[in-house]
Amino acid sequence: MTDSRFLALGLVAPALALVAALFLYPLGFSLVTAFTHEGVLSLANFGKAFDLYSVDILYTLFIVLLAGALTAVAAVAIAGVLTLGETPWLVGALRALYRWPLFIPFIVAGQCMRTFLAKNGLMNNSFVAMGLLDPLQTASLLDWRGIVITFVWKQAPFVTLLLAGAMASLDRATIEAGRNLGAGRLRVLVEIVLPQVMPTLLVALVLSFVTTMSVLSVPMMVAGSQPTMLTVDMAFRINAYGDYPVANALGVISYAITGLAAWFYLRQSIRKEAAA
Amino acid sequence: MGGHGRAAIEVDRLTAGYGATTVLHGIDLSVAPGEFIAILGSSGCGKTTLLRTIAGFQKSTSGAIRLFGQDVAGLPPEKRGVAMVFQSYALWPHMTVLGNMGYGLKLRGIAKDEIRRRVGALLAMLNLTGLEDRKVTDLSGGQRQRVALGRALAVDPALLLLDEPLSNLDAKVRLQLRYEIKALQKRLGFAAIHVTHDREEAMTMADRVVIMDGGRIAQVGPPEEIYHHPASPFVATFLGAENRIDLDAVPGPDGALRLQAPGMPEPAAWAGEAEAAPSPGPVVAYFREEAATLTAPDAAPGEAIVLPGVVATRAYPGGHYRYGVDAGGRHLTVKDAGYHELGTPVGVRLPLANLHFFPASPS
Repeated sequence: MTDSRFLALGLVAPALALVAALFLYPLGFSLVTAFTHEGVLSLANFGKAFDLYSVDILYTLFIVLLAGALTAVAAVAIAGVLTLGETPWLVGALRALYRWPLFIPFIVAGQCMRTFLAKNGLMNNSFVAMGLLDPLQTASLLDWRGIVITFVWKQAPFVTLLLAGAMASLDRATIEAGRNLGAGRLRVLVEIVLPQVMPTLLVALVLSFVTTMSVLSVPMMVAGSQPTMLTVDMAFRINAYGDYPVANALGVISYAITGLAAWFYLRQSIRKEAAA
Repeated sequence: MGGHGRAAIEVDRLTAGYGATTVLHGIDLSVAPGEFIAILGSSGCGKTTLLRTIAGFQKSTSGAIRLFGQDVAGLPPEKRGVAMVFQSYALWPHMTVLGNMGYGLKLRGIAKDEIRRRVGALLAMLNLTGLEDRKVTDLSGGQRQRVALGRALAVDPALLLLDEPLSNLDAKVRLQLRYEIKALQKRLGFAAIHVTHDREEAMTMADRVVIMDGGRIAQVGPPEEIYHHPASPFVATFLGAENRIDLDAVPGPDGALRLQAPGMPEPAAWAGEAEAAPSPGPVVAYFREEAATLTAPDAAPGEAIVLPGVVATRAYPGGHYRYGVDAGGRHLTVKDAGYHELGTPVGVRLPLANLHFFPASPS
């Protein structure tokens, strides 16, 4: 009994050691650093973080939440067309195209957006060429709007993937029953399909939220430096000042925000299991 | 409801299919207001496709679907105004019973109080009083299908489509709901098209039964008519006349028709009505197991065919024996009350009036 227990521990030990060395130790270390100032426990680093970066915290939350909301709208629209569309070529083309951004790294997406959204970028030039805009009216979107557009473009396929899967597994007859009673397709999407796949949508949005919270390349590449997102601030504290304590305090604030989202996710999945 | 003198629905040379496969090959069917029609057929005969094409979930490739005179073949399902009950119930799990049953009324802009009142009345009719605020996922199968029926009936449809609504229920609930649906239909007076593969269900519920085979209508008629006068060997077999014998119909010296089967010592004389008589030449006859009895192999034929044979199998399903008899090169199934040992020579006595005759086809 004890022998087999030791054997089991021995087998798990390498994995545990890896987790401890690569995750638990740095996590613990950064937590300790964040809450320590000149050798004693203190909230001084958080005070400094809030003094310097409270605008950026709000800016980050604003961008991530807005991007999440727009991602949800885009994903519902695409998954809705995939599920309820009646034009085979449109559904086929959308199905083939919508996943592409999933395979493009954030940094490449940021780079593409720089050339696409700039004042003389592809988008404005196209609008001017089409006669929709005067060259003098063009404006650069390389600010918070650029970050939001990049996040939505990058994350909508991921959320759509999960959402369209959930919609496809619904009993088709529940959709037909709605239309049979007189509901148009938009109404069926909003009142019948969406409520049934809501748990999946929320879970996908939470995962997407955590991803966008941690992206460094896009805010750095697409938008200017003030205000900016927490990831950029953390990189700046470390690269410019070697200021790990404040960077770690910002990190803890990020943890706290994503932790809230994770709690929400766990609560959802527990409910889902209870309902099943 | 209404449509004075007009058909509730008229399906005119309707074809439909999936991709390159044609499933419906020109269906013609007319249903009068208040009439209950059952569409009966085996799997893959196109009966569900016909129903889905009428509801608008399946596009027709040609032909017309007229509801009270208006062609709806080009309309999306939500504009057709026919209500449908699904095999899987298709209730919305995120809504209560009231939400499900009141949905069609909500779409029609009825006030909340009025919806609650009407749903309450329908629930009473369906023996579900007081279940308004129950989650549909907490209901039994029979209750769910009643709610689904109520959801379709709430919008006061002139035509109700039922897609095998009873096939997921256990036998007892099925029998009860069969009766309840029929009673509701009589009381509310809507026309109904009921798709089923259950013969007894179709026969007991419908005013007229439509038998489908390979995407075509094989026969339409009241239950008694299709049962006693099947229009084709397929219909005869489908309705239980699964025994088949080959006969020769020859005019006798007195002009009366005589029927001779292989192995029969003397032919049987046709004494029935002249128009019911088979035409002279080779014919096939179909009969049900209960239409025949066992007798002595050398019994006098009279107005019956007596085929000599040997008892090959015996089973007792209750109340009578079911025998398998080898006679005239065929294996016949016969119901008989008496006990016969296996291997006993017997005569299978077939009264001519109980046989369904068809000209023998080369196949």
